[in-house]
Amino acid sequence: MQPTWQTPRPALLWMLISVVTTLALHVRHLPLWLLGAAALTVLWQIQVYRGAWQYPAKYIKVLLTLLCFGGVLSSYGHLLGLEPMVAILVSGFSLKLLEIHHRRDALVLIYLAYFIIVIQCLFEQGIVTGLIVVLGVTIVTAALAGLYQSNHNNQTDSRGILGAWFRPFRSSAVIIMQSLPLMLVLFIVMPRVGALWAVPKEQGSGVVGVSDSMSPGDFSDLGGSSKVAFRVEFEGDIPAQSALYWRGLVFSDFDGRRWSQSGSWGYRDGSLLQWYGDKPEPWDSQATRRGDALTYQVTLEATNSPWLFALATPKPASQDVALTRDFRLYSKRPLSSKTQYRVKSWPDYNLEVSGLSSWRRKMELALPDGFNPETRAIAEQWRQESPDTVALLNRLLKLYNEEFIYTLKPPLLGKHTVDEFLWETKRGFCEFYASSFVFFARAAGIPARVVAGYQGGERHPSEDYLLVHQYDAHAWAEVWLEGRGWIRVDPTAAVAPERVEMSFADLFGENKDFLAGSLLSLERYRHINWINNLRLRLDALDYAWAKWVLGYGNMQTDLLTSILGRLDPLRVGLFLLAAGALAMLPVAVMSLLGQEKKYRDDLDKFFIQFCQRMERAGITRRPGEGPRDFAARIQSLRPDLADQVSSLTALYEQQRYNTATLDSRNLRLKELRLKLRRFRPYLRSKVT
Amino acid sequence: MLQGLRDQLKQLYQRWVNRRLPAASKIRLSNKRLFIFPTRAGFLFGGVLILLWLVATNFENNLVFGATFLLSAMFVVAIFHTFLNLSGLYVEAGRTPPCFCGGEAEFGILLSQKGRRYRDSISLYHRSSEAVVVSLPGTELAEVWLAVPAEKRGWFEPGRVTLETRYPLGLLRAWTYLDLKLCGLVYPRPIDAKGRLSSTAAGEGVDDLPGGREDFRGLERYRQGEALGHIAWKHYAREQGLHTKHFSDPVDEEVWLDWDAFPGMDAEARLSRLCGWLLAISSGSALYGLRIPGTEILPSRGEAHRSNVLRALALFDQAPRPRS
Repeated sequence: MQPTWQTPRPALLWMLISVVTTLALHVRHLPLWLLGAAALTVLWQIQVYRGAWQYPAKYIKVLLTLLCFGGVLSSYGHLLGLEPMVAILVSGFSLKLLEIHHRRDALVLIYLAYFIIVIQCLFEQGIVTGLIVVLGVTIVTAALAGLYQSNHNNQTDSRGILGAWFRPFRSSAVIIMQSLPLMLVLFIVMPRVGALWAVPKEQGSGVVGVSDSMSPGDFSDLGGSSKVAFRVEFEGDIPAQSALYWRGLVFSDFDGRRWSQSGSWGYRDGSLLQWYGDKPEPWDSQATRRGDALTYQVTLEATNSPWLFALATPKPASQDVALTRDFRLYSKRPLSSKTQYRVKSWPDYNLEVSGLSSWRRKMELALPDGFNPETRAIAEQWRQESPDTVALLNRLLKLYNEEFIYTLKPPLLGKHTVDEFLWETKRGFCEFYASSFVFFARAAGIPARVVAGYQGGERHPSEDYLLVHQYDAHAWAEVWLEGRGWIRVDPTAAVAPERVEMSFADLFGENKDFLAGSLLSLERYRHINWINNLRLRLDALDYAWAKWVLGYGNMQTDLLTSILGRLDPLRVGLFLLAAGALAMLPVAVMSLLGQEKKYRDDLDKFFIQFCQRMERAGITRRPGEGPRDFAARIQSLRPDLADQVSSLTALYEQQRYNTATLDSRNLRLKELRLKLRRFRPYLRSKVT
Repeated sequence: MLQGLRDQLKQLYQRWVNRRLPAASKIRLSNKRLFIFPTRAGFLFGGVLILLWLVATNFENNLVFGATFLLSAMFVVAIFHTFLNLSGLYVEAGRTPPCFCGGEAEFGILLSQKGRRYRDSISLYHRSSEAVVVSLPGTELAEVWLAVPAEKRGWFEPGRVTLETRYPLGLLRAWTYLDLKLCGLVYPRPIDAKGRLSSTAAGEGVDDLPGGREDFRGLERYRQGEALGHIAWKHYAREQGLHTKHFSDPVDEEVWLDWDAFPGMDAEARLSRLCGWLLAISSGSALYGLRIPGTEILPSRGEAHRSNVLRALALFDQAPRPRS
């Protein structure tokens, strides 16, 4: 048997706490069995430490490793991607707990814990996550510190056994605190290089947002999420609510049930994407932009898709953002985390006013065969009755206005979604109206398409930015009119004009269906004033976090340029050194001050305590009376205390005036403390 | 030739060390004397940092960047802590009780500080010894006993001692080489000599000689390095602190330890036997004297006498104490 290294007790405690913290952090993206297995290893390690169990034999460990591997494979179906990777790391990590034979095993465990805890930031990036990660790092550091601190017995540690357990955490917390200024400097100055290679991103787990297709009638619940979709900061005033149509996706293909984007085969004139900074594609001239542009910055939450949102008609003003052929914005990479981009939009515009080519016309008029025959017939009929396109569309909108009801809980629809909606149920929300409107227009020979995105937003009362929530998701239509190009038509506005003029939440805030799914959401209680204020405060904080911390990469260059004047390696390097030294200054000062802590403080405290006790017993030290004179006086007044007082005074004087050697000093101090504790001159009950 | 070069380099290094770290019996650990460098664990930690930086860069995640920078900053802060754990410490050679050749010389080393800094996990070792770990948890003084195998009779100078620390995070190691002019006396290796005792009986034991193993004499506070077998564990279990049990034996005879009692042997062999003989007698209760070339000690007894005799044996034919 090899001599086993014994983990220091406090280190083991903090290691176990680290493991538990790590698991708790990742609890949302780990399979349940893995949590159970990890809990078992923690228990096992505790039992081993207590001497009740043995470490598992080698073949059992191999078996467990294989089991975990197989488990991860069967839980996820593959090993690529972030979540399976984390699951594998966590299984390896907790299995490592079963073979801590040397200090290096403990180190491997601790370093893995650092890694896994920090990895959590890839899943969530809120302020709370940030704070939790700092706490987690502190706990893991405590485990590390525990490995290198000597295990004093409780005689030398004045704080007793609990102090010894807690000491690693205390030193860890001190070190982390002292590290924060330097971290800030590094965060601000250290240059970021772009991604070196493509990495697996989190696979759409519970990410809400506008999806890349739309099938009205398939689901009947929209009142879902109160999450923030994005925030917008305008340079200048925020435009009117009814002008805030955030275009995200354009759906031109309809298969009878589902609206989706026409693929890259749809358009045939040049590149589909026009990147920021590149020269304009030939089709860019199809957009006429007039008047003043709105400039604004959007902070979009992670969506895991590349679609960006902007007001018509936009031009990107940030790197890695492109304008698409249908004049929306597109990101180079799917958004796996909060992202910021700048946009210029011209609200006064014309799109493709010069006419649609025949293939475009065909694309925007296409209807699937065998669906919605009634609508097609009626559209034909209306077309003949009123040849004027605008009049025809107005007739349809009038129909909506008179006979339709806007509801968040519409009945489900069968095969002929548009027929059933238009002529039977007549109840629905934006997607129903957009879909039926576009279908009807196409059936009547008018090029039309569905646009999905968000409408409106909530103005933050104090911070002057616009908050767009997931429940602001909206779908509307665009029709192409001869001589005017693409015109936005919002059929929902015809049914419920309030929907467009007020914010969605203002409209439905007190409706019981609104956010029925999220009882705990602060949003749900926005009609209660103080909760609403709290919610808005929190959001302002969240926005500041997103803007200054998560999105810092975007503004780093500007900030550093404004400080340094010019960015070159020498300047940045020198600045880093200077700022770093400044950040370390508190540590240096603290260490130097810490060196000369007063040794005599304790002694003075004891003497004061002694005098206080005597005072309670009725003998007060006179001003200027020395300890020895005082003792003599006490002895004459209270002979029963003579022994105690003389030994206390002797100890005190020894400590004060003698240069004691070796450990005698500490020993005496301890003795003094003990004696003083038992010294109760005011209790007269005992006879000596 | 390579060997020659290596020796030369070694000499150069030694000279550099001697110049840089001059010998003294009390040394203050100043910036000049201390070295600091990452440990293996520290380099591994650097690997973790690189890995995290790669993750942050590839996922373009500023929070991971933040965490990476926090850990990097922690490394920098740890440099201060590790360095300050030694800096300003006074190291001083303490007492060195004599020992027997083949045993271990225990060098007392005193660590002290002016303030009350919490200094922890300072380890001291010699190239041929186990490390002793010592802490000054806010105290001003600490004493350690460094046990170094004693392989030659006479004055024993172990030379440089390494003092190092990895506190608080093990990422860095701060160290220095100390020449504290340590010097201890090594008695000859005792060998049991059979018969040969020219003894005369004396009266019943008058006095008790300490250091024996028969009669329990009392408890004394434990000093680091004392035999574990003599620790009063029961007292320790009652949380009365560490103490060792001390014993003594009754005395009885009178003996001459004579050089000529071992004819035909070389000096070391004779000294070893005389030493063994002495031990056998002194643990009894005899009066004993020593007769070796150049030295004669009249029979007597007691701790001081015993030491004198052993010292004479140890220093027979030896150079005077170096650098004393």
